Amino acid sequence: MAHGTPLRPLVTIDQLWKLAMTWYSTRLQADSRRPQPDEMRAIFAGLGLEGDFWDPKSDRFG
Amino acid sequence: MDFDTQVKLAIYRHFAETGQRPSPGDVAELVGSDADSVLGVYPRLRAQRVLALEADGSSIRMAPPFSGVPTQHVVSASGIKYFANCAWDSLGVIAALQSQGEVHSHCAQSGEPFHLKVSLEGPEPSTWLFHCLVPAAKWWDDIVFT
Repeated sequence: MAHGTPLRPLVTIDQLWKLAMTWYSTRLQADSRRPQPDEMRAIFAGLGLEGDFWDPKSDRFG
Repeated sequence: MDFDTQVKLAIYRHFAETGQRPSPGDVAELVGSDADSVLGVYPRLRAQRVLALEADGSSIRMAPPFSGVPTQHVVSASGIKYFANCAWDSLGVIAALQSQGEVHSHCAQSGEPFHLKVSLEGPEPSTWLFHCLVPAAKWWDDIVFT
């Protein structure tokens, strides 16, 4: 438990950097946008982040 | 470029250039419009999940990865101090700026200070781990908590 909450999946700094680059490296450009749910799944899977926790299936705004 | 994109870019570039959130008036000046027109764009940027507002409906809480309010996640780059929304976003600030920088934070569980240098190629080797508390499908249900 961490602060009374269940321990969730852990992400390494290298994985986090790749997520940060994927999400934000073009954020200051006009055509930048947040990844869509299907893209998110592929991004997470490519980093070994799989399972229900990483599935944005109910991401209504994505 | 459409007006929504102009507003989005003005917000993000203001954060990048100052480390601070812009007011609707600041954004209006940057895009050559008025504050009411700028505020009319905010709900659509929220729907795209590139903007989160305070309860007043006009103050920017987040333009991810940037935070509009002070947080424990501080990024220094090019002589400017930025606040990020979480550990992921602290690296995201550097990714967005395309600049080297340093991240200062602390472990939410132990309180141990965290310091990481990040170059254009990525962060220095580190054994720290990021604990993501909320499942991906729920992130924007309450993005401030996430």
